[in-house]
Amino acid sequence: MSLPIANHIRRLRFEAGEMTQSQLAEAIGMTRQTVAAIEAGKYSPSLEAAFRIAHVFGVGLDEVFQWSA
Amino acid sequence: MSFREKSAWITLVSVLVCFGAYFVELFSGLAGDRHFGGLGSLHLLLLSVVALVVLQLVLTLIASLTTPKAGRGLADEREQKIQWRAQSLGYRVLMVLALALFAPAVFGHRGVEMANFALLAVVISALTVSVAQIVMFRRGV
Repeated sequence: MSLPIANHIRRLRFEAGEMTQSQLAEAIGMTRQTVAAIEAGKYSPSLEAAFRIAHVFGVGLDEVFQWSA
Repeated sequence: MSFREKSAWITLVSVLVCFGAYFVELFSGLAGDRHFGGLGSLHLLLLSVVALVVLQLVLTLIASLTTPKAGRGLADEREQKIQWRAQSLGYRVLMVLALALFAPAVFGHRGVEMANFALLAVVISALTVSVAQIVMFRRGV
């Protein structure tokens, strides 16, 4: 199932000192599998989770997620 | 594989093994013209339930030992969403099967026999929940 929301989490993780999915998951209070699903475009996170991810990387929401339909 | 996906697999396998054996034995007795509403089926049911509990305990213990502690906490939003959707689907399946229970009643089945058909409906519903969870964990939600 492909969702119409693209994300740049993988790049942002790389730019944040090659942060692992597990480290990001711990920072936002989710499982590593959920971070992997978000990154692969298999799950659209809630607005709160999306803001948490953006907050971890210190960027705006639109730098993490983009509508790609 | 997350702890909750492992749990869904554990439920699927243990219910299939324990209640699969129960219903195969029960319905093979029916096909052989033996009555399956007697006390024998209750003993078999008790044995299946005990086997189910033991199998689930052992498999869950193994799953706990092979999953990092961070993955065994409270369900996150994706896991909750998967659980809700799977349970909703399982509930609808159970409702349809509950209505279908009129059929064996019409054909004269009563008492323990009807209880076995009702149990079969619950088992099919539980299997539906597990399969739906596994599919959503694998394919996305």
